[in-house]
Amino acid sequence: MEQIISPIALYLICGLGAIGVAFALPRRGHSGSKIPLHIVGGLVLAMAFGFAALVLGLKATDGGNPLPNYFFYPFAAIGIGASVRMITHKRPVYSALYFILTIIASCGMYLLLSAEFMAFALVIIYAGAILITYLFVIMLATQAPVGDDDEDLNDVDAVAREPVLASAIGFVLVALITVSMFRGIGDLPHSQLSSAQASDGVLAVLPKKIDKVLDRAGLLEEGWFVSRDSETGHAIIDVDARTIQIELVDGEDTQGLPIVLASRTLGPDQWPEELSAQNLDRLGYNLLNDHPMMIEVAGIILLMAMLGATVLARKHIELEEALKAAQARKLGTMFDTDESNSVRSQA
Amino acid sequence: MNHLVQAIDSVQLAQLAFPSEMPATVLAPYLFVSAAMFAIGLIGFLTRKNMIIMFLCTELMFQAAGLALIAFGRHHLQADGQTFVIFVLCVAAAEAAMALALVVLLFRHRESLSASAWKELNG
Repeated sequence: MEQIISPIALYLICGLGAIGVAFALPRRGHSGSKIPLHIVGGLVLAMAFGFAALVLGLKATDGGNPLPNYFFYPFAAIGIGASVRMITHKRPVYSALYFILTIIASCGMYLLLSAEFMAFALVIIYAGAILITYLFVIMLATQAPVGDDDEDLNDVDAVAREPVLASAIGFVLVALITVSMFRGIGDLPHSQLSSAQASDGVLAVLPKKIDKVLDRAGLLEEGWFVSRDSETGHAIIDVDARTIQIELVDGEDTQGLPIVLASRTLGPDQWPEELSAQNLDRLGYNLLNDHPMMIEVAGIILLMAMLGATVLARKHIELEEALKAAQARKLGTMFDTDESNSVRSQA
Repeated sequence: MNHLVQAIDSVQLAQLAFPSEMPATVLAPYLFVSAAMFAIGLIGFLTRKNMIIMFLCTELMFQAAGLALIAFGRHHLQADGQTFVIFVLCVAAAEAAMALALVVLLFRHRESLSASAWKELNG
């Protein structure tokens, strides 16, 4: 398969991106110039992204290849733009808020990739829980700047370390990854499963769900159920041919197996519209059937993290005398100015 | 305009686990976005001095990895990618709890969030 985008174009995009990020990273002493450097950086970056979208689009439509959904482009632009703003913003709280924007944009992309459950779980866990913890710590452990100007910020936040070198390294990495990736992407093996099997194959292990849907569609009379395989308990259903076998069951025999009085097959014309496995069905079955060990490992990781965080946070810190004195002086001056301000406002 | 209506029609939420096959040319832009996000996170980790922002950048790299996992899972019509993202989320949550406890501890020692306040740790 031919390359869908030429390596030269990719190198150019990555170079533009590197220049944009290097300019956009925080630094001091550009207040004299008329146009702030970070706006220039943002423009170069936007150019790089637009160019990437353009080249990708042109090249892909050229060979009649399909493109991602239209909604992909705004989500990708918001995601990359917000993540650049996250690493370039001088104030940590804004960085955290831009990271939330990045997460919401990638949730949009998850939806386009038909991973609905993960999209909403990401919003709840990341944007709702993890980022709130970050915001809390940022507000707890930040030296408050004296004023609102950027000049009043600490060097920790206002100056980046080696911006040019780091952006060069980062985007050389992207260039290498993407060029080698795009070269081999045509040779990726296709899925072994048919689309119907991939979507609805999991239905066979959900016989109760099939019972419910068929019952709601009015296809099952009293005593009729979907036929179960006597050994595995899976429903007897063919998702490619769209046929379901159902049977009339009357109690159980001495070994607990159902006594089948009659059985027949529902054809593809009777397949109910709403009988399909959803993302959540598939994900839940995959998690519990194929990766049960992962749940145990995740539990241990979370428990250890909880213990570790508790132990770390409980530790008592002995400050040196000089540092203690400095802190006391700082607090003292803070209260002094507060008092003088309030006195002044009363007067 | 017609194109837009078609695009809206083609987004079907919670209809099927995998509505159709996804060709490699659709997969490629997702991987590009994922690689770019990972690199931006890496650059942020290398350049910023604030320890909280550095850990935030590692979260961004987790995000990028998750996007690539889900895109590949969609391409191969498998749910394993999403399962791994659940695991990534779990590790990210554990990492956030540990890292932030550590940052608070370090901040109380030096009254500074700068990573260079701990220069003597280099080896």
